[in-house]
Parts: sequence; C-alpha cells; structure tokens
Amino acid sequence: MNALLLYLLLLKATGTSFSGLTSLPVVRHDLVEHYHVLTDRQLNAAVAAGRTAPGPNGLYVVSVGYFVGGAPGAFAGCLAAMTPAFIIVVLLRYLGRRAEQPGLKSAIQSVTLAAAGLVISATIPLARNALTGPLPIAIAVASFLFLAFTRYATVWVILGAALAGLAGSYASIS
Amino acid sequence: MSPLSLRRLSLICLRVSNLTFGGGDPTMAALQSELVTRHGWLPPEKYGLVYALARITPGTNILAFCAGAAWELKSWPGAILAVLAATVPSAVVVVLLTAGYESLQHNVRARAAIAGTLAAAVGMMALSAWQLLRPHLHRRRALRALFLAAVSAMLSYRFRMSPIVVLGLAALAGFFWRAPEQA
Repeated sequence: MNALLLYLLLLKATGTSFSGLTSLPVVRHDLVEHYHVLTDRQLNAAVAAGRTAPGPNGLYVVSVGYFVGGAPGAFAGCLAAMTPAFIIVVLLRYLGRRAEQPGLKSAIQSVTLAAAGLVISATIPLARNALTGPLPIAIAVASFLFLAFTRYATVWVILGAALAGLAGSYASIS
Repeated sequence: MSPLSLRRLSLICLRVSNLTFGGGDPTMAALQSELVTRHGWLPPEKYGLVYALARITPGTNILAFCAGAAWELKSWPGAILAVLAATVPSAVVVVLLTAGYESLQHNVRARAAIAGTLAAAVGMMALSAWQLLRPHLHRRRALRALFLAAVSAMLSYRFRMSPIVVLGLAALAGFFWRAPEQA
C-alpha cells in the first residue's frame, strides 16, 4: 500500500474520532478487514506501543503506519495524527461559543457514546487473538483494574504485563 | 508577564506533551498551569474555550488543544510548531518500540513478554470504552448512554456496518434525542 493511500485511510480514522483509541474501529475495518495489510496481532501491538510511549495516546496510528509501510508508513501515520488538530483553528474562528449549542453538544456526546460501542466491538476480535489462556486473561483484567483505580503511568502496566508473560513462559517450561 | 516567543511556546508544548503520561486531561491540565496560571499568556476564558473546542475537534484532543492555544498566542506558525513539538518526539519513540516488537517476535522469551503486553492492550482498550461511557452514566442519562453504545457496538460487530456510518447515525440520533439534564 502506498503512503498516500495509507495517509488518507488513517486520516479517515483520526478525522472521524474524538479521542485516542476511538479511531481504532475504522483502522481495523479498513486495514485489517478490507485491505488485509495489517493483522489483529499487529494492531494490538500498535496499541501497546502507542500507550507505552509518553505523549498523546492517538499516536498508535504511527505504529500502525510502520507495520503497514515501514518508515514512510510511520510518517503517513504521524501526519494523519496531526492533521485533524488544525480543525480547531477553523472552530475557534467560526464556531466560538456555539460549541455549547444544545443540539451540537448532544450530537457530539452521542458520537462519543457510539465510539465507546465501536471500541467494544473492535476489542472483541483483538481479545480473541490475545487472550488465549488463563494468564493473558488475568493480565488483561489486572491491567484494566490497575489503570482504572490507580494513577500510575501506562508504561508500568506494559512492563508488568511483559514480565508476567515472561514469568509465565519460564513456569510453563520448567 | 514574561515575553512569549515561538521557540518558548514550542518548548513548553514539547516538554509538557511528551513527558506527561496519562493522556489528554493531565496534559491539558499541565499546559493550563504553564500558559494560564504560571505565565498568564492565555486568559482563563480563552483557555476554557480552547479546552471545550479541543474536546469536539476530531482526532487527538491534546494535539487540537496545542494547535488552538498556540494559534491564539502566535497564529499559524505557533499552531504548526506546537503540534509538531507535541507529536514528533513521541512518534519517534512509538516507531522505536514498534521496530523493537518486530525484531523481537522471533525470540521465544520475547514472544512471551510481547504476549503479556498484547493482553494488557486488550485491558486498556476495554478501559478506554469504559472511560468514554463513564461520564454519561448518571442516573437519568445512563439508559440513553448504554442504549447508544450497545446499538453502536451491535451495528458494527453483528451487522458489520462501517464505523463512519455508525458515528453519523449516532450524531443524527443525538441531535434529535437529547439527554435529560443532569439531576
């Protein structure tokens, strides 16, 4: 897949989402299901890479771009993450206080709720791929709870999960 | 009030965006403390407007916030430099982590560690859905919120409807079916 098409597909995903991982269903739909240039496992790894790095969570699309097209793909992903940010300038100029208009506010709120549903829908196939035994299931549940109820950075969860996976492999061999 | 240069604004966006873990809200809070409280470059009401608009701008909220705040302070050059400063260093780290993943996946031990991180990513995605839902689960709004999320999940998963169509339908539904005011 050429970098321009990849940029446009990733832009379609980032430009129709309203926070970090809400672009994931569109990415999965286009790159995993339609074009078959990305696997669920790679998408899952991209999410982990995006969340491990400091900075904006939405940068997992850079990792997606790298998986699909190497360095030019990563560049396309980076551009796709940045481009929608400039829409705010148009909003600041022309929308201003109308952001509080009830109809618009309600529509955006509903899009966010739909995004939650879409993230759940996208998580199911990724979970089938990654949660293949009691240990991965325990790691997924522990990660959810740890991040939901503590204020530690995501990077510690990723490190802990990697160590748990490693310990599990030693235990299963011995 | 100390003077604000393009360089200084970019450095603040670079430092705060790339060194703050925890997503958009902690990062925007850190930028608020720098731009509004500490230096007084951005009036609180402008911060509020940029914050609100960043929430409804497509894409990553924090990048939209950087673009908006920097545009208010230094016009287009400020907005472009701020977004680059907030994105590029973290993007390089993401690429390095991804390259590391690719080169390590043939090693048995590394594969076990990666399998652990993939399982953690599933937990994070479930949490992401929960965090999107949670603010809307107030008593009078909960039913509407759960209904919209569940129908969207079903349309996507069961009926394979394109996410763009699902989001468009949700926007339309939200425009006409508003949530009851919070009690």
